[in-house]
Amino acid sequence: MTWFDKRNKLTNDKQEKEKISCGLVLFDSVQDAIQAEKILTKNKNRCRLVAPPPELRKGCDLALEISLIEQAIIERLLEPKVPYIEITPLRGTTELLDVIKIYTYDGYTMVKAGNMKLTFEDVSGIIVNTSGGGCPDIPYLHMELVGHRLNEIPRPRHIGHTLCALMLDRAVEGALKIWEEGTV
Amino acid sequence: MLIIAGIVPALHIPLLTDVVSQGQDSIIVSGYSIPCGQGTAATVSVALAVTDYLGLDSPRVALAGDKGSGEGSQKVYQYLINNIEKLKPRVLALHYWMPNLDLMRMLYKNIEKCSPRPILIADAASMYTAKAAGLAPGFDIFTPDTSEMAFLADPEAFHPAYINKHLFKLDEDKIPELINLAYKHQGAAKILLVKGKRDIIADGGNILATIDSPNIPAMECIGGTGDTITGMCAALAYSGMSLDQAAIASAKVNRMAGLLAAVNPASSINAVIKQIPAALAQALNT
Repeated sequence: MTWFDKRNKLTNDKQEKEKISCGLVLFDSVQDAIQAEKILTKNKNRCRLVAPPPELRKGCDLALEISLIEQAIIERLLEPKVPYIEITPLRGTTELLDVIKIYTYDGYTMVKAGNMKLTFEDVSGIIVNTSGGGCPDIPYLHMELVGHRLNEIPRPRHIGHTLCALMLDRAVEGALKIWEEGTV
Repeated sequence: MLIIAGIVPALHIPLLTDVVSQGQDSIIVSGYSIPCGQGTAATVSVALAVTDYLGLDSPRVALAGDKGSGEGSQKVYQYLINNIEKLKPRVLALHYWMPNLDLMRMLYKNIEKCSPRPILIADAASMYTAKAAGLAPGFDIFTPDTSEMAFLADPEAFHPAYINKHLFKLDEDKIPELINLAYKHQGAAKILLVKGKRDIIADGGNILATIDSPNIPAMECIGGTGDTITGMCAALAYSGMSLDQAAIASAKVNRMAGLLAAVNPASSINAVIKQIPAALAQALNT
C-alpha cells in the first residue's frame, strides 16, 4: 500500500511539473472546443480536451490543453476558423509580456520585447538586426526580417511558430509605431 | 570530444553528426555549407575558431534543419538520447531547439550515465528547457541575457514570454538580485554568465566577476553576440580551463572582438567572428 501511494505521489508530482509547459485555449462553446481539437490534431499539434481549473475558467466548461511553446502557430490555425476567448498558461503569469523597452543609438533604435530585440535604422525603417530568443524559428525569422523595411515584412506571428516569434512580433509592433510616428 | 547541438534555419539540412570545418563565412559539416548567421551556426563557428587557435580537436555537431516546427529539433534530441553514452563528450553545449521537457529529461538521464560526466552548457531554448524541466542545477554553465535572467529568476515561468512583469522591468543594476532569486529557486546552472551592459559571472549566488570594458553598446543589437559567447565558453571549457575562467575569458574576448570589428548596430555577426582569433590572442597573452 505504501508503495502504491508513493508511486501515485510521484506520478502526481510529475504531472504537476509538466503543467509548466502547458497552456489552455478557452472557448465560449463546447462545439468550438471540439472543432479546435480537430484542427490542431490534424496539424499534428499536441492537444487534449480538458476541464479548465476553476481559477482559469471563462466561457464553457471545456478547454483545449496545448503545448504553450506553440502558441504562435496555434493562434494562426484557430483564428480564421474557430472563435476562442484566450490562450493562457496553466501555471504562473497568465499574460504574455507586453512591456517594451526602447534604446537609441546614433541613427538606430532598438526595441526590446521580453527576450527579443529588433533594431532598425531611424531614417529608412530598415531592420538591421534581430537578436535574443532561443526557439527554433528565431534564426529563420532573423533571415526573413533583416534588410527589409518595417512595413514591408511578413509579421513574425504570421510565419513563426513559437512564443519567441510572438515576442519578436511585439518588438516589430513597437518599432513600427515608433518609426511611423517619427517619435525617435 | 566537444559536441554542440542545435538547429539551423534550412529545411534541406538533415541530421548532421560530424566534425565541423570552417568555410567562407560558413561552417561545413558532412559536405553541407551552413552560413554563420545568428544561432547555433555562429556558436559552432566560434567554438571552431577557438579550438583551431588552441590546437585542439575540432568540435563535433548534432545539427538539423528546423524553421520552427520542431521536427529538426526532435531529430537532434533523439540522436543525443540514443548516442550520448557512446559518444562520452567532455563538453556538451546545447543551443537553439524546440523546448520539450520530456525529451530533455530523457537526455539528461542518459547524460547522468556517462562516466566521466560531460560538462554541460546551455543557452537559448535549451536553457529554457533545462530550467523549466527542473534540471538547471545539474548544468554547469548558463549564458542568459538580462531578460532571460528574469526568466530564470521566476520559478513559475516556462518561457521568457511569460514572466513576471516586475522582474522584466527591473533595471540592469538589479541583476544581482535576479541571480540570487534564480539560485534560490533552483533556476540557475552552477555558473551563470549574464550578458548585458555589464557582463556578470556568478557561481552559486556569489558574483565572481563583472566585465564592463571595452564598452560596446551596439553589441546588444547584433544577432549572434550571445551565441559567440556560448561557443567560446564551450571551447575554452574543452581546453581544460576552469569553468569560471572560461566564462570570464569569453565575456572579455567577445567585447574585444566587437571593438576590433568596430561594430555598429547594423553589423553582422560574421564581422565579430572574424576578430575572435585576434581578440583571443590579446586576452590570453595579457
